[in-house]
Amino acid sequence: MIRKIWVSELDEHNSILAKTTEEHFKEISLSDEELNDKLSFWNKIQPGVFIEKDLSGRNLKDSIFTATSKSLHLEDKTDDNFRVLITTININGTPHYFRSIANYEDTKETVSAIAIVTFFFIGTILLGLLLINRYLAKTIWAPFRNTLDRLKNFNLNTQTKIEFEATDTIEFDELNQSLSRLIAHNVSVYKTQKEFTENASHELQTPLAILKNKLDILLQSDDLTEKQYNIAEDMNKALSRSSRINQNLLLLAKIENSQFDNAENIHFDELLQSSVDNLQEHFEQKNILVKMEISKNVTVNGNRSLTEILINNLLLNAIRHTSVNGYIVITLKNSIFEVANSGEDKLDEELLFKRFSKLSANNSGSGLGLAIIKEISKSQNWTVHYRFENNHHIFSVNI
Amino acid sequence: MVSLEKVKYKLLMKILIIEDEEELANSIAEYLSGENYLCEFASTFNEARNKIEVFNYDCILLDITLPDGNGLKILEELKKENKQDGVIIISAKNSLDDRINGLHIGADDYLTKPFHLSELTARIYSIIRRKQFSNANVVNQNELQIDLLAKTVSVNNEIIALTKKEFDLLVYFIGNKNKVISKSTLAEHLSGDFADMLENHDFVYAHVKNLKKKLYDAGCDHYLKTVYGTGYKWESL
Repeated sequence: MIRKIWVSELDEHNSILAKTTEEHFKEISLSDEELNDKLSFWNKIQPGVFIEKDLSGRNLKDSIFTATSKSLHLEDKTDDNFRVLITTININGTPHYFRSIANYEDTKETVSAIAIVTFFFIGTILLGLLLINRYLAKTIWAPFRNTLDRLKNFNLNTQTKIEFEATDTIEFDELNQSLSRLIAHNVSVYKTQKEFTENASHELQTPLAILKNKLDILLQSDDLTEKQYNIAEDMNKALSRSSRINQNLLLLAKIENSQFDNAENIHFDELLQSSVDNLQEHFEQKNILVKMEISKNVTVNGNRSLTEILINNLLLNAIRHTSVNGYIVITLKNSIFEVANSGEDKLDEELLFKRFSKLSANNSGSGLGLAIIKEISKSQNWTVHYRFENNHHIFSVNI
Repeated sequence: MVSLEKVKYKLLMKILIIEDEEELANSIAEYLSGENYLCEFASTFNEARNKIEVFNYDCILLDITLPDGNGLKILEELKKENKQDGVIIISAKNSLDDRINGLHIGADDYLTKPFHLSELTARIYSIIRRKQFSNANVVNQNELQIDLLAKTVSVNNEIIALTKKEFDLLVYFIGNKNKVISKSTLAEHLSGDFADMLENHDFVYAHVKNLKKKLYDAGCDHYLKTVYGTGYKWESL
C-alpha cells in the first residue's frame, strides 16, 4: 500500500516535471537551433529527464510504467527499478518526446523503515494498552473480587455478619450494601427459625420433665403398692418415649434446615467401633452374634454428631428387629457401611424411611429412627438403601 | 471419738435451685429433702443474682432459660467472683453448642431435661464431695469403703474388683440413699441416650445382681434391697 502511494507520488512528480518543463520552455523563447543544443546538453547531464524532438510524429500518448536498468548511481552494481513517464510536450509549437524516470529503489528501504517504525509504535501501544488494562482490571475489580471472596466464605450457620470493604466505586458500593441487607435479613430469619425449633422443643420438654419428676417422687411414697409401682413404671417409659420423639423431631427439623456443619474429617471406622462397644451388652442381652468386618482408616467428611447418630440408629434398629439368638453382620469397606440382621419378612421399602410408619409390632422405637437416618444421609450426600436378601434385612449406606 | 468425716457428712448441704418452673423446683426440693440437703429457691434472674451475692452454696442448680435473663450470666458472675459453689446446669436445651459452652464457662455438669431426680441427686452428691474432699474423697458406710478418687471399693479393708459399670452403679446408689429407684430409671442411667430405644431392660438386673454378689461375697451387709419386684433401694440408717 505504501508502495502504491509512493508510486503515485513518483508518477505525480514525473507529470509535474513534464508540465513545468513545458511551461518553462514556453516562457523562454529559443530558436530551434538553440533549443536542440540545450536539449542535447540537458540530456547528457540529466539522463533522468530526456527530451527529444519527436521526429516520428507519433504524438505519443502518455504512458507510465516501470522499468529496470542500471542505477543512476554509478557505484551500485545491481539493477534498480524506475518509474517511467513518457509523454509528449510541446516546445516551440513542436511536439517533443519527453521521458522522465524516477528511481524508486530507495522506496524499499524507506518502506521498510516506515514499516518497522509503525510496527514498533503499534507494538508499544498494544503493550501499553495491555499493561494499563491489566492494571485497571486489578484496581477496578478489586472491590468486586473482595466482595466475592467474602461471600464465598460466608456460612449461614456461624451467623457472623459480613463486613464488606469500603469502595469508591458507586456500583460496587451499592452492590455491597444490597448484599449486606440481604444477608442480614437472612441471618435474622435463620436465627428466628433456629430459635423457634429450639424453643418449641424446650417448651415441650418442660411438662414432660414435671411429669417424670412427679413420678420419681411418687415412687418414694410409703404406702405404695407393687401394682401402683408398675403403673408408674409404665408411665415413665411412655414419658421417655415422648421425650425421645420430641428430641428426634427437633433433630429432623435442624437437619432439614441445614443447621449442622458438614466440614469435619471423621474417622468412620473408629466411630463405628466405639458404637459397637457401647452397645455390647445389648447384643449380649439378646444373645445376638455380631460379625464385623471393618476396614481401617476410613475417613469421610461430614458432621461428627450426625454420623454418630446415624451409626447408632442403624445398630439399634438392627438389635431391635433381631430375634433372640439371631445375628448381625456389620461391614465397612469400599465406602459402603452395611448392617445386616437376620429376619423373616421383607419390609416395605416404600414406607420404611417415612416417619412414624408402623412396620412391625415392635413399638419401642420413636418411629423416626430411619427417617433420621435418611435425612442425615441426604445432608451429607450419602445414600441409604434397603434390601432383603437370604432372609437378611440389609441396610447399606454409601459414604 | 467421732471421725471428722462423719461429722462433715451430717452437716446440711445448701442447694440453690434457680428454676422458673415452680413445679419442677418443688419436685427437686421434695426429693432432696430426705437426705441432709437444705434447698433455697430463685425463680428469676435477679433473685438468683441477689442470692449468690450474699450466700454461698454447696451446689447450685442453674436453669439457663430464665424469664428475665440468661442464666449463663449468673455462672459467669460466679466464676468472676471466684466462688467455689458447684454448678449443675439444668436445661431443656440439648444442643451440643449449649453443652460445650456451659462447661467451658465453668459449670461442673450439664443435665438435659427431662431427667430423673435420682440422676440429678447422684450428680449433686458427686460434685459436692469432689469440691469438699478434693484430696481424700472416701465414702464410708460401716464396713464398706468407697474411694471416689481412686475408684476403688473395699469391704473390711479388702479391695474388691468391680467393673466400671458396677462401680458407677454403686456410686449412683450411694448418692441416692434410701430412695426407691425403678428399673427403667436405672436403665436410663446406665444406657444414657439409648435406654428408651430398647425395650428390654434386663441388662440392669444382670448388673445389679453382679454388684450385689461381689459385695456380699466380700462380707458387705445387704444394703441394696429389691423393692416392688423390679425396683431398688440402698438402705442406710
